[in-house]
Amino acid sequence: MRHALRGIVLLLLLMIVAPAAQTSTVPAAQASAARAPEGEQPVVRVGTEGTYPPFSFHDPRTQQLTGYDIEVIEAVADEAGWRLEFVETQWDAIFPALDAERIDLIANQVSRNDEREAKYGLSDTYTYSHGVIVRRTGDDSIRTLADLKGRTTAQSATSNWAQVARDAGANVEAVEGFAQAAALLAQGRVDAIVNDNIAVLDYLASTGSTDVEIAGNAGGETSEQVLAFRQDDAARLDEANKAITTLRDNGTLREISEKYFKADVSVPDGGDADLSEGREARSTWEVMGSTAWPMFIGLVKVTIPLTAISFAIGLVLALLVALARISSYRILSGLARAFISIIRGTPLLLQLFIVFYGLPQIGLKFDPFTAAVIAFSLNVAGYAAEVVRSAILAVPKGQWEAASTVGLDYRRTLRRIILPQATRTAVPPLSNTLLSLLKDTSLGSVVLLTELFRESQLAAAESNEFLALYTFAGLYYWVICVALSAAQKRLETRLDRYVAT
Amino acid sequence: MTDTTEQQTEPARIRVHGLEKSFGDHKVLRGIDFESRRGTSTVLLGPSGSGKTTVLRSLNVLDTPERGVIAIDDVEVDFSRVPAGKAGRRETGRLRAQSGMVFQAHNLFPHRTVLENLIEGPVIAQQRPREEAVAEARALLDQVGLGDRADSYPFQLSGGQQQRVGIARALALKPRVVLFDEPTSSLDPELVGEVLAVIKDLAAEGWTTVIVTHEIRFAEQVADQVLFLDGGVIVEKGPSAQVIGDPREERTRRFLKRVLDPG
Repeated sequence: MRHALRGIVLLLLLMIVAPAAQTSTVPAAQASAARAPEGEQPVVRVGTEGTYPPFSFHDPRTQQLTGYDIEVIEAVADEAGWRLEFVETQWDAIFPALDAERIDLIANQVSRNDEREAKYGLSDTYTYSHGVIVRRTGDDSIRTLADLKGRTTAQSATSNWAQVARDAGANVEAVEGFAQAAALLAQGRVDAIVNDNIAVLDYLASTGSTDVEIAGNAGGETSEQVLAFRQDDAARLDEANKAITTLRDNGTLREISEKYFKADVSVPDGGDADLSEGREARSTWEVMGSTAWPMFIGLVKVTIPLTAISFAIGLVLALLVALARISSYRILSGLARAFISIIRGTPLLLQLFIVFYGLPQIGLKFDPFTAAVIAFSLNVAGYAAEVVRSAILAVPKGQWEAASTVGLDYRRTLRRIILPQATRTAVPPLSNTLLSLLKDTSLGSVVLLTELFRESQLAAAESNEFLALYTFAGLYYWVICVALSAAQKRLETRLDRYVAT
Repeated sequence: MTDTTEQQTEPARIRVHGLEKSFGDHKVLRGIDFESRRGTSTVLLGPSGSGKTTVLRSLNVLDTPERGVIAIDDVEVDFSRVPAGKAGRRETGRLRAQSGMVFQAHNLFPHRTVLENLIEGPVIAQQRPREEAVAEARALLDQVGLGDRADSYPFQLSGGQQQRVGIARALALKPRVVLFDEPTSSLDPELVGEVLAVIKDLAAEGWTTVIVTHEIRFAEQVADQVLFLDGGVIVEKGPSAQVIGDPREERTRRFLKRVLDPG
């Protein structure tokens, strides 16, 4: 027991220290990669949504990431001699990820605008498109941008199209992708969507939806889509531009474009995109069948380990915080009180963002899993500390006295006499904490973790089977919760063996 | 019984001098002095709030006096000079190890069997071999009449049995002194007798005991020395026949009258 505790604490320290140490070696590693001889290709991490068909999505049969932007960046990488590593994340987290050096470039239909031009390194244009306004079928009150004034549109909050809608006087509801926006529009929760004509055509063709339709162009301007780099990354930007020029000249870009759109969108006037054939439509059962396994993998490889590790570390921290809180040393109990107050007084999502996006700005960079473990275990510690504290205080004072009269010191008293009795009181509320944690790990989807919920999001964005897939994901969570509840019951029975019933 | 000359050459087992203790503004002990010889029973009597329980708990350092000296055999602690922190805890720990404590509410460890309750101190704190501790614990359980309950949990025993386990747990530490804090006060009347019988046996066997109790008749039988406390001082002390049978002090008489003829 004691060794196990010590082991966990050590592990925790390692997890905190090791990635921190890693950060200092990363720039060196990058530098050497840049100077690497031919054959050892530098790894370039590409941020993309993976839920934005036909640009970036998962092929329903193979689960492989594919799409127009994916094929373009792969062609660019071939030319530039890069080895790609794809990092899938929601649109609103993409630029923060680039800022935090979690990715090196964005290939996701980034529209060129002044703001981005000033802050990032933008490549030459590889897609020309124009914005369209989408409305519920037959809603004649929406025809032009002017009609959006005072109405509500659904957009990714930080996208270029959101800005277009805002400029037209619309209220913008933030969503996580086009499929979700289309669902909100069809359900009547928003009045319109402003988006790229190609994405809209793809949606209409692949879903066969007649609930929504294109009302008209969103202004007259075409929009130019580019790759985005960090501003100081001129070398890669230069390599990318050279590659794009080559690919345009040798017809590769046109080829990829025609495969997806039956038109060349890589030039300003390449004809109207035609997606009427659409992607292959599949039945709900087929979609669920092909998603069951990826979701199971997400559950087993991320959700469950994340829950188990965070809970174990969280409990150890909770015990330390609870003891500090009870302690007669004012400073110690004050610190513990402050910690508990901060953890319980701020949203978990915010804590997760601080660890994942915030800390890198002061040089503390963790991989997504470690960042999630840190945030979740601190969160568990904050809540469980109060549970542990009250459970310890619920053990009669006479037990402490009896333990000291038989000669036990503080640590042995705690470990052998107090904690075993406190455990009995603490198990039911701690089980609640565990169940909450299991479900809270779904927030990991916003820090680049491909866990159970993220897998269902990916599949839903591609297939529009929201109800079926989210219900399915819920079923996975529920089954695990039922199993945990059964385990709780057995544990309680075991702990009740020394109590009169 | 004991030879007078030997009594004078051998120092007293318990030596208490000038004990003072406050809880907040309330002074509960105002200078307590007494000695107990080896193999004797000392009974503390007095109204509630007189300080008798605080004296007893001070002997085991469950309460820490501000001033005064407590010595049990060769371990002596001057409480006005106990250093703070770890060194102080080591010093008071040595004094605590000289005595075993029997609580009013027995305070057995509910998650441990009777046997485990007994061997916790010997095996874990005193680091004695487990087999030896178990054998001794079984012998002690036989002695208090619970040889067949070694594997029971405390909740499966009656109040009187629980208190007898509490006594055996104190004895298992092989202490120089056994302290009893109102050992029968929370028992049903019909269970008091079995516990008092065990304590009487111990006294007869030569254990040195200090007992806080309200059972005057029992005190009369078992005590070699009676201390009557009131208001944080010892009002009267002497052999039980004198203090209980023929008290000199008015306060002692009033107390005994009230306890022996209630109403």
